[in-house]
Formats: sequence, structure tokens, C-alpha cells
Amino acid sequence: MRMPRTLARTALAAGAVMVLAACGGNPTAAPAGDAGGPEASGPTEAEQLYEEIAGLSGQERRDRLVELAAEEDGLNLYTSMNADMVDAVTEAFEDEFDIEPSVYRAGSETVLQRILQEQEAGFPGNDVVETNATELMALQQEDVMAQCASPERMEEVPEAGKYEDWVATRFNLFAPSWNTNIISDPPEVWEDLADPKYDGQLALELGDYDWYMALTDYWLEQGKSQEEVDQLWADIVDGAKVVKGHTVMGELMSAGQYGLASSNYTYIVEAMKASGAPLETQPYVNPVIARPNGGSCMKTAQNPATAMLFMDWLLTEGQEVLAAAEATPSTAEIETEIVAVDGQKLLDEGSEWSQRYDDLLSGVEQVSD
Amino acid sequence: MTANLADPAVTPEELRRPADGPPEPRAARWRWPLTPKMFIVAGVAAAIGYLALVPLGYLIWGTFFDAQGLDLGSFERAYGDGRMGELWGNSLAFAGGAALLSITVGTTLAYLNVRTAVPFKALFFAASIVPLIVPGILYTVSWIFLASPQIGLLNAFLEPILGTAPFNIFTIWGMIWVEGLHSSPIVFLLMVAAFRSMDPSLEESALMSGATRLQTLRKVTLPLVRPALLSSILVILITSLESFEVPALLGLQNGIYVFTSRIYFVLRSYPQDLGAAGALAVSLLAVAVIGVAVTRLLAGKGSKTYQTVTGKGFRPRPLDLGKWKPVVGVGILFYFFVTVVGPLLVLLYAALLPFYQAPSWEAISSFTLDNFAQVFEMNSAARALKNSLILGIGAATIVMGLMAIAAWISVRSTIPGRGIVEQLSFVPLVIPGIVLGLSISFVYLRFPLPIYGTILILLIAYCTKYMPYGMRYASTSMTQISSELEESAMVSGASWWTTFRRVLLPLLSPGITAGFIYILVVSFRELSSSILLYSPGNEVLSILIWEQFENGSFNVLAAIGVLMVLALMFMVTVAYKLGAKVGLRED
Amino acid sequence: MLRIDNLVKSFGGEKSRGKKKTASSAAVFAVNNVSFEVKEGELFTLLGPSGCGKTTTLRSIAGLEKPDSGTISVGDRVMFSSTGRGRTVNMPANKRGLGMVFQSYAIWPHMTVFDNVAFPLQVRERSDRPSKKVIAEKVERVLATMQLSEQSGRQATKLSGGQQQRLALARALVIEPPLLLLDEPLSNLDAKLRESLRYELKRLQRELGITSVYVTHDQVEALALSTQIAVMERGGVVQLGKPRDIYEQPANKFVAEFIGTSNFIPGTVASQRAGRHCVETSNGILYLESASQLPVGSEVVVSIRPEAVELSTTARGEQVANEWQGTVVTRAFLGDAVDHVVAVGEHEVRARVNPSVSIESGTSVYLQLDPSKISLVPVN
Repeated sequence: MRMPRTLARTALAAGAVMVLAACGGNPTAAPAGDAGGPEASGPTEAEQLYEEIAGLSGQERRDRLVELAAEEDGLNLYTSMNADMVDAVTEAFEDEFDIEPSVYRAGSETVLQRILQEQEAGFPGNDVVETNATELMALQQEDVMAQCASPERMEEVPEAGKYEDWVATRFNLFAPSWNTNIISDPPEVWEDLADPKYDGQLALELGDYDWYMALTDYWLEQGKSQEEVDQLWADIVDGAKVVKGHTVMGELMSAGQYGLASSNYTYIVEAMKASGAPLETQPYVNPVIARPNGGSCMKTAQNPATAMLFMDWLLTEGQEVLAAAEATPSTAEIETEIVAVDGQKLLDEGSEWSQRYDDLLSGVEQVSD
Repeated sequence: MTANLADPAVTPEELRRPADGPPEPRAARWRWPLTPKMFIVAGVAAAIGYLALVPLGYLIWGTFFDAQGLDLGSFERAYGDGRMGELWGNSLAFAGGAALLSITVGTTLAYLNVRTAVPFKALFFAASIVPLIVPGILYTVSWIFLASPQIGLLNAFLEPILGTAPFNIFTIWGMIWVEGLHSSPIVFLLMVAAFRSMDPSLEESALMSGATRLQTLRKVTLPLVRPALLSSILVILITSLESFEVPALLGLQNGIYVFTSRIYFVLRSYPQDLGAAGALAVSLLAVAVIGVAVTRLLAGKGSKTYQTVTGKGFRPRPLDLGKWKPVVGVGILFYFFVTVVGPLLVLLYAALLPFYQAPSWEAISSFTLDNFAQVFEMNSAARALKNSLILGIGAATIVMGLMAIAAWISVRSTIPGRGIVEQLSFVPLVIPGIVLGLSISFVYLRFPLPIYGTILILLIAYCTKYMPYGMRYASTSMTQISSELEESAMVSGASWWTTFRRVLLPLLSPGITAGFIYILVVSFRELSSSILLYSPGNEVLSILIWEQFENGSFNVLAAIGVLMVLALMFMVTVAYKLGAKVGLRED
Repeated sequence: MLRIDNLVKSFGGEKSRGKKKTASSAAVFAVNNVSFEVKEGELFTLLGPSGCGKTTTLRSIAGLEKPDSGTISVGDRVMFSSTGRGRTVNMPANKRGLGMVFQSYAIWPHMTVFDNVAFPLQVRERSDRPSKKVIAEKVERVLATMQLSEQSGRQATKLSGGQQQRLALARALVIEPPLLLLDEPLSNLDAKLRESLRYELKRLQRELGITSVYVTHDQVEALALSTQIAVMERGGVVQLGKPRDIYEQPANKFVAEFIGTSNFIPGTVASQRAGRHCVETSNGILYLESASQLPVGSEVVVSIRPEAVELSTTARGEQVANEWQGTVVTRAFLGDAVDHVVAVGEHEVRARVNPSVSIESGTSVYLQLDPSKISLVPVN
């Protein structure tokens, strides 16, 4: 019986690498607020730089940043912008400053996971993050970002897009959209979604609990009672289909699988419409639910000046680039009424709302078919 | 005589001295000569242990412990949902149905392809590969376009004739159909290797004994390939239990929720509840471990009789199908249509359109090559293709190399504890891709060597993820090689390594080639851990695809899908040709 | 040439594979204290039924099994030596330099005939490896000996059964091993081929003068081929000797039964002087000669080979030592002989006689039993 020991030793050796590597702490115990980052012992170099530049404004600020950025080594950007948008943004930035950003692109949850993992391990992977509100709120709670946008530019951003450590760069607008071949009388207000005439034609998206939360809050604020709101949701879900993914939502609607999508991103619908699909999202149902997407600089940034330069630029010249890429820039005037998703609430109660939305949708089976 | 006592599987190490014999001094017993064999075996075992234990350790640690110590709350959070019973019920019905379908279809096709003079043999090749290449989401969506009651092409064709739309893909049957078809190539590839190494005289002798073809199949052929069959069932059951694309796209429309949707919701929230996700994955792990144990038990019973590649040469003579030939031919054309032609046509159709619309003259007149042009214009496309190629070939080579030796350890060697190697190699199957990605980034962020942020970390992830499949292919082949072939090489003076290289490896080559191709193909669509682990410059094709999907560019995505099918078909052909060169030659 | 001393090999039992074994009683002795010596040029056969330990012994010589204890040496090279304590010598199979033919031939299906035979030369240590040219010469020579030259380039699996057997032999012989091990090499062939290959094998072995150990359960094969036979039963050697001695003087009932057919008649030694025994049986007194001098009163079994029985329809009386009377029960024509079963008292005696003699059943006959061909098998 000599081999089992040998095997056991092998296993132990293999395990040891892992354990040694992992003595930083339990992987799942990490996230909640206590900020295990390396910055615990006072401000980082990057923070000092942000502090120094914060006092400057206008051309002076821009010149100083360009000067400092020239001494740095490019820019590492982690973002959940879609590929077209990020390509447009990075190309424009490079044209302007001759700095080519290295971009890591993934879904917002993945961007968050990656940053958390890296920060926990003390690995300064990115200089700038640009992603969804929920994830930015989580990062704010982790205390790994530093507000670095220019105060002048922040003034242009509506209140719903300003937070302690980050600022909105664009809004994702949730609005109903429809197949013009199928739906001749599109909804005008959100309550219309509950109308039985859309039974069998309405589709909801599996993951849009943030929209669900925002719309519920809006209705309650409008003076509806909890019962009324619940009834509205029950009527919406009655006869509705559930799809996963906003792209699939648009694609199946353009194919005619259903006629009305409750909450697609307007930019997806606009892009499909541009390529000739029989889809329409305007006139917008009032109010449009907007989820801010924003950005910030990392406390551990290795290229802090470039990071700042990028954020400044994204809130000025970059805004036009975003608009050209079918996004809704945060500093632009939006003609319609906007209800912003509350980032803080999303962070605090997100999983609860996610569960509620899940429960609501899975009630679908009792009524469909 | 040779039956039991001569069984080489009863080992020198296992020998026991006579009751009255004095115990051997410890020092002598612990000695193990330092041979290349030892290094290789220990190295492979260590590599497998390492690859499996990293995510497993992370998973178990995260599931059972929190900062304060042992914590079982994660199970409560994971299973606290009142609908858990229903979720499991749906999952099991779905996984069981998909397994049944893919096993039946895959095994039948493999049998027909290898053992009979079946018509249209050339089609098998495409039918066995194409569903693997097409990403799950595209495959599923093309089925929606084919068989949705509202927009399904098949329904549109048949409705005027039948008066009603005959198909509804948004049902549990639709889910089983799509998942089963999508998985049948795995079974096909596994079973082809098994049938290929079976002596036809075993079947012929049954026919001569008066058994009908069906009886022969049931009583001789299937029992002989039982190890491969059990392996396939296990793999398909677990992958279907874990599958999310199909249930999400087809089941949700009518509220059919499955087990994995829990994992989806659990992993989506922040702070991410890895503990709860882990608790769900741990129950899959338990299912898998029991499955492996049962497989071993069933396959181990009289495993000697399953060694069907013996030194007595056989000439595979394909069975004549007789009057069944036209029937089988029609069946094969049908299968080829539903797995390859239908979905591919839909993809091609979508790839040529600016946006998806039901077929009409108007639609056809709007055909354009813009989507393809867009793919070729993408800056990162060439780089992603190169990276995917490097990773696919690299992972397939490493995994099959490791697993060939691991299969020897597990099937042929007499080393105590060899079963653990097999169990370990199976572990990654039950680890959700995102957990795998997290555990790997967790370890390599703290690793002294600069692996994080390079393409190496993706290679490690792929090797881990595809290890279970590699093991299935390798060990299935290994069980079927007679140990005398190996012993005769040893007696001829060949060292263990030479024996392995010159005798076992070529004999394993049908299985190794099949495994290689499988890994090569599926690594092209790996997303869940790639997306977390890639860095700028290391993009792979699947990430490109995902980006197109996120953009809403479904038609560009279809174009990429078409191109991928073409490129991989070419590579797979090359791999088969190379594999056939070194291996057992076929007639 | 080959010397085996006190070889012991036990198995913990198939069932407990991989599990921890606890009770020592679970051990099964596959080979229990086997010793024998094979001289240069001999064809030594291990003969016995399934499970007797003959293959385990052969595999131990080959190095494919590791014995518990004992010594195995070929010439002056010790292949295995263990006393059960202290240092164990166990040369790995691939260093022993022996030739072996497996029951299934174990021909590598992915190689050509040539490659199969060349393999043992190709895998030698680099320093010891012949050049490609020499390998080719050696392979061609051994293929020529085996009459396989024409098949040289063919895929090994395309050969007929007999050709495969010769190929396996060629592969074993190509390194000119000091010792050739054959594990039931003829058992996979049909009867006619088996017979012709049996003589072929014998001729080759004698011509090449190669020392061989042959394992079989077929006594006809053993008798026809061997210079020495070791009959094994339940892990031990029960009789060792020349084929004729074993056939004519089986050491016990097991050997007598296993080696061909025999008539067994129990009796008691009535008198004995210098090996001339007088045994009292229920059919009357039998006179016989045996080397084993048993005391008067010993319980014995008398073994009479069917071909040691002569039949006649008339009594010869005093001309022969032993004569019994009986009735023919049945007869069978075997081509080269006729078997008669004759009822004698309470026994049935099988007599194998010249085909010219054929007696109808029911006929009363006389049996003459040659005293020199009757053997005594002691009862424990």
C-alpha cells in the first residue's frame, strides 16, 4: 500500500499551491464592504494625483493631463460597453491623444467580478472602469474607485447620474418597442402593457429586475396603492412570454414571434431599425426608465493621469461619439420624461427585487397555454 | 485457465504474503524505483489533481466556509426556494429526455456508420460535427425559426397541408429535442470509437447461433460497448442538467424553469453568493460521483471480457442491411436534415439578411454579403481566430496527452488509488463555467509566475474544463485494448514508455482523435470562463461572437457561425486524416 | 538453463481488487512452492487444468507477475529472487530478453508484419540496437524461417490464423532469446491446423535448439511436444517427468485421469516382492510390476490404460498373467482404433484395440491385461 501515500502526497502538493496562494481570505467572504484593498494605509499615488489635478479646470487641466499622460504607459479600460460603442470611443480617443487604450470587455457582472478579484489580490489591472450603475455602486461600496471627473463637466450631468465615486457617462433607456407589422396601436403609457389586447403578443426579459424595480417605485410614487401596482404587474404578466437576452428579444420580435417587447434597450431597437427591421420604439412611452452607466478612475490606477484624461474626454468630446453610437449621452438633453433607476437601492435591495421579479415571471405558467 | 489467476489486473503490488510469512521491512516496501514511468505517471496524476482540485477546492471552500468558519447557510439560501422540487423535476425530465434521445440517436448512428454497409456514409462526418460547432444559442435560435408555432418555417410549410401548426418548440419536448440533437454528436464520437474496436466475429457468432439482428444488437453488441455507453449517459445527463441556453430560450416562454436557472439568478446578484451557487453545484457533484462509481461498478464487472481489441487480427466486415437499407437511408437523410441542413440553412439565411424576417421574395431580394464583409473588417477577428486556434489545438493536445496516460493509470495499471485519478478528472464537469473562471483567476492572481493576463490562463481553463471529456474518450478506448498487446511489447524488451508510445497510443488513436476533435471544436465556443479570464490582446472567437450578440447584431453573428462551421470542418478533416495515419487502419 | 526454486505467488482474490485486504485467509495461492529445472534445448511443458497455476508460473518467468517469494534464474542471470524478507531482485519484463508467444498472439494490429517482427530489435537500448540494415536482415531471415516472407509488407491483421501464429513466433524468436515462453499458442486454431502446427513447432524447436517453456491444458499436445512435462494441480507440481513416464506411471489418480483416459479399479495389495505386486480386486487377482514397492494390505487403485487391454473371444488361460471375462457393452470406431466398453463384474473396462478387431456388443469376451503396462496409483 505504498501508492496511496504517494498519490495523497501528490494531491497535497497540488492542494498546497492553492492554499498558499489563497491565504488571503475566503473567496466568498470577501465582497461586503470592508475594502481589503491595498490603499488602507493612506492615499495612493493615483489618489494624490487626482487630488492635485482636481483644483485645475479648463484648458489648463487638459494640458496638464496630456503632459502627464505622455509619461504614462497607455490606458487599461474595463468596460461593459458593447463592441461597436467601445470601438468608436477608443478610436476617437486615440485620434485625439495618440494613446491606444487596452480594453477588456465583458458583461457588467463579469467586469465587477474581475475587478473585485484583482483588487483583492492587489493586482492593479485597470485604470478606468465604465459599466452599469449596479456594478458601479458595488465598486463604490468596495471603496476602490476615486471620483476624478472634472467638476465643470459633472454639472452637465443630471442628478440621477451623480454619485460619490462615479458619474454617469450615458443612459440605457428602457422603453417598450414593437413590431410595426403586428402592432398597430402601440402602448402610450406603461399601464397599457397590462391591457388584455396585448395578451399573447407581449414579451418580458428574464433579467430586467432593475426596470421592474424602477417602474414599481414610479407607480407607487404616482400615488398607486401596492395592491393596484401588484394587479398591474399580474395583468402584464398574464398572457406574456419570457425571453432571455435583449438581443434575442429584438431578434424574435423582428421575426414576428411576438409583437411587443416590454423593456428593450432603445439602442438595440434603433440599431435593428437602422438595418431595416420593422421595429419601432418611438414615440417613447412616458416616462422612459433610464439606467445610468458611468465610469470612474481606480485608486490603484497605474496610469492615473491618462485615466483622468479619459474620463474628462468621455464627458466632453466623448459624449458625441457615444451619441453617434446610438447611446444616450448623460450630458445631453432628453426630450422625454426620464425616471432613473436608483443605483443605491439597486445595490441594497437588488437580490430581493431579482427574486421578486423571478417569482412574478415564473407565475406566468399558470396563465399561459 | 487463464481467467482469474492470470489476470494482469491483479497486481504485484496487491500480492500478499502467506499468513505465516514475516512482514517485510518497511524500508523495502516503500521503495519505488526511480523510472521514467514513475515520473510520467506521478506527473500526470499530479497535473490532473492540480487542475481538478483548484476549482473544486475553491467551490467547496466557498460553499461550506465563510469568514467565521463552517457555514451551511449557503445550502439554505440555495435550496430555500419553494419551487426547488419543481425545478429539479423539470431538470431531470429535461436531462433524462435529452440523454435518452442523444444516446439513442448517437449510438444508432455510430453503429450504422461503423458496422454496417449504410448508404450516405459521407454525411455522417458532417452530422457528427456541425451541431458541435454551432454555438448553443445560434443552434437554439435556428430551431425557434424552424419550429416555433408563430414563425417556424416548418410550421409554415406544413400548416396549409395539415390545417394546424404541428410543431411547438417551446415545450419540454422541444427542449429535449434540441438539447438531445445538439448532444448527439458527443455520443456519436464516443460510440464510434467503441464500435470501431470491436471484433465483428463476436456479432457474427451470435447471428450464427440463430439470434436475429435485433437480438444480437441487444444481447451481444450493446453489452460489449457498455462501458462506453455508460460513460456517454453520464456525460450527457450532467451536461444537460447544467445546460442553460436551451431551457432559457425555449422553456422560459412557457414558464418551464430548470435547476440551472437558480444558478443563473444566484450568480447574477451582488454581493455574489458563491456559497449558494456552490451548494447547487455540490449537489451536481454528488450526482456525478455516484454516477462515476456506478459506471465503474457496472463496467468493472468482468471488464476483461470487454477487451475487444486483441492481438488476433480481425477484419471489420460491414454488415449488409438487406431490405432495411432504404429505410435506414431515409432515416439518415432525415437526421442529416434536422441536425445539419435545417439549422445551417437558417443560419446562412440569417447571415445573408440585414435583419431577420420570414422567408419571402422580398426577403430574398434583400440578400446581402454585408454581414460577412463586417466580419472580415473586424480588427480583432484575425487575432481572435489565431488565439482560438492556438488554444483549441493546445488544449486538445494537452488534454488528450494527459488523458491517454490517465486512462492507462485508471484502466490498466495496478496502482492502488487509481480510481481517484478518474474521479478527479471528472470533477470539472460539474463546476459551472463562471465558478471555474473565478477559481482560476483567484489562484493565478496570487501565483508567483506571470500567468494571469496571458493566454496561458485561458489554456489552463480550457484544459480543466475539457479534461472530463478527454478522459471519457481515452478510457473508453483503453478498456477495449487487450492487455496482452501491451505485455507482448514489454516482453519484447520495450520499456513502459516505448510500449505506450508505439503500441498503446496508436491503438488508442481512434478514441484520441475523436477526443481531440471534440475538444478542438467545443473550445471554439467556450465563453463562460474565457470572458472572465481573457485580457486585451488575448480575445478568442467566442468573445467576438458574444460581442456581436450583445450588440444585437444577430445577423453578423450568423455570418460568424457560418464561417466557423466552414473553418472547423476543414480542420476536423485534417485532424481525421492525421489521426487515421498513425492509428488502426480502417478498410 | 531455467531454474525455479520454491516459487510462491498468491492473490488477494479478484473481488477485493483495490480494497484493503484484511484476513489472511482471503489469500489464494496461485503458485505454491513450485520448483523445477529446464535444461538447455529442452521443451518443458507445464500441463494442467484451468486455475492450476501454470500460466501464473509462466508469467512469473516472463516478469509479468511478481511472485511473493522464490527464485527464478535463466542461465546465470537471476530474474527474480526473494526470500520474503530483505532485498528483492525483480528484473522488469522488458529487461529479461525472453521471447514469448501469447495465447491471443498479441499481434499489434496497427503494424505491418515486418514492423511487428522488427519491434523487439527496434526498442533495444540505443547502444545495443542493431543498424536498420541488420534489423531488416534479421527480420527477413526469421520471416523466411516462418515462411512469411511474402507477407512481410502486409497489415498484420490481414493474415490467416496459422500465419498469425507463425508471426507471433517470429516476433518472439527474432532477438534469439535464451528462453522461449509459449502460452497455449495453439489453442486458438482449428483442430487440423493445430495438429500440423504442433509438429511444425516441434521441428522448429528441435532444429533451433531453443529452450522453451510451454503452457497447455491439452495433454495430447504436451505428450507430443515435450521433452519434460510438469503436471500441475492447484498451484503445485504433482508430477514431473518424461511424457512416457507420466503417461505410463501416473503419480496419482489426478494425473492418470488428466493424461488421457484410464480404467481405475480399486484393490488391496495381497503380496509384493521386488516390485512385483499381487493386487486383489473385486474382479479377481491382478499381477503387475511397479517401481513403488507397497506393503501388503495397502489400499490402492490400479490404473489400466485402454490400449493396455487386449480382447479376444477365446480364453488364453495360462499363457497370460491376467485374464478377465466380460461382456461387450458398446463399441466405437475411431479410425485408427476401435474402443470397446466391456462389463466385467461391477466395473466397466475400456479397451482400445487394433481396428481389425471389432466385436459386437453382447458378445462374451476375454480381456488380457499386460502386467508391465498396469500402474499402481496409491490411495492417500
